[in-house]
Amino acid sequence: MNLDFSQIVPYIPFMLEGIWVTLKFVFFAIILGSILGTLLALFKIGSIKPLRWFADAYTSIFRGTPLILQLMIIYYSIPQLTGYDISPFLSAILAFGLNSSAYISEIIRAGIQAVDKGQMEAAQALGVPYRAMMKDIILPQALKNILPALMNEFITLTKESAIVSTIGYLDLMRRAQVVGADLFRNFEPLLFVGLIYWCLVMGLTMIGRVFERRLKQSD
Amino acid sequence: MINVQNLYKKFGTNEVLSDISTSVTKGEVVSIIGPSGSGKSTFLRCLNLLEVPTSGTIEINGKNLTASKKTIHKIRQQIGMVFQHFHLFPHLTVLENLTYAPMKAKGIKKAEAEMKARLLLERVGLSEKEKAYPNSLSGGQKQRVAIARALAMEPELMLFDEPTSALDPEMVKEVLDVMKDLAKSGMTMVVVTHEMGFAREVADRVLFLDHGVLVEEGQPVEFFSHPKTERAKDFLDKVL
Repeated sequence: MNLDFSQIVPYIPFMLEGIWVTLKFVFFAIILGSILGTLLALFKIGSIKPLRWFADAYTSIFRGTPLILQLMIIYYSIPQLTGYDISPFLSAILAFGLNSSAYISEIIRAGIQAVDKGQMEAAQALGVPYRAMMKDIILPQALKNILPALMNEFITLTKESAIVSTIGYLDLMRRAQVVGADLFRNFEPLLFVGLIYWCLVMGLTMIGRVFERRLKQSD
Repeated sequence: MINVQNLYKKFGTNEVLSDISTSVTKGEVVSIIGPSGSGKSTFLRCLNLLEVPTSGTIEINGKNLTASKKTIHKIRQQIGMVFQHFHLFPHLTVLENLTYAPMKAKGIKKAEAEMKARLLLERVGLSEKEKAYPNSLSGGQKQRVAIARALAMEPELMLFDEPTSALDPEMVKEVLDVMKDLAKSGMTMVVVTHEMGFAREVADRVLFLDHGVLVEEGQPVEFFSHPKTERAKDFLDKVL
């Protein structure tokens, strides 16, 4: 069997650096996706029709086309159309954040609608204004219901982040390919970053469990 | 205090309330009774616009409810409501359930809201539960907290939507006792109930609804001993 992990040892620091690079844009993409997703979800359940149409159309477009295509379009078309030379980092945040917000908005919408209707009625009957009701009463309860689905989305996003290697962003995946090309051995570096991705996802899973436990406090 | 004129409510083609006119004066306790599906709850829910009437007018303290959609939450602050299924906020403690609306909707300071909330909890006999979460309470305790939560807004009017229907039998009394105290204190109350005993003892007036029509209204003694209409007689024969 032709396996030799000792050969990748000198490249390990280079590949480990990829963890930070990947996490950096995944973090911003999750933030962007969550904020935008929450807004879209509120549009979808709100009573203002144009906003509802916008949110539905948005979701349909970003769920209906491949993520890699959206990434390419953002990375290549923005310089072509506006002359602004967008960095791979910014393109990656935009593509992943915009794409993820479509999925997150659906998760949050379902979560809000699953909150007992009586909660909204009780808040209304007390004369609580709509915004405060959503922020303090409905969303916290929705969050508890949707946390597993939300964590799932974040995990998917973390793994799929490997797609940014296609626009030359030096993330974990890209670094494995670079090392592979350097050594003429691909299996070892790929396996190595595979292990790192798995660790990242396990970390996320653990964070999710901690949150879930904290939200269960009231049960 | 409440003045209802020609109130209609339709769900699609289904007419749930048909031409209801009545009024409630300050300090009065009114019980609404009738078979299930008669529109009692819908009528009550119209009084704070949880259901929007199809036509007709509702005036609370001379202010037309239907004409003031934008200020509806201001009017609702003066109307407390107690639900069959309590609808306490499960992620807030008992004390937070009581202080949340006064702080958010009326801008009352936390210390003051908590002081008032503690007085109310004492009044419903649940002082020791202020740090508990609703899910750890019994049904009767939940409903007493729900009443206290509504009272925390210092409403002029309290609506009760079958407040004891979801309770185990042994817990009905503790809730009714709180309501009786409230009635004695001069609160204006509209109570949809299946508790004929409560309607007879506590109410100043009984409204009998059937198929969305206000069939009969009168003093409880009169109504329960000599109902004027066939439908009311039928109903009373079944429940008493």
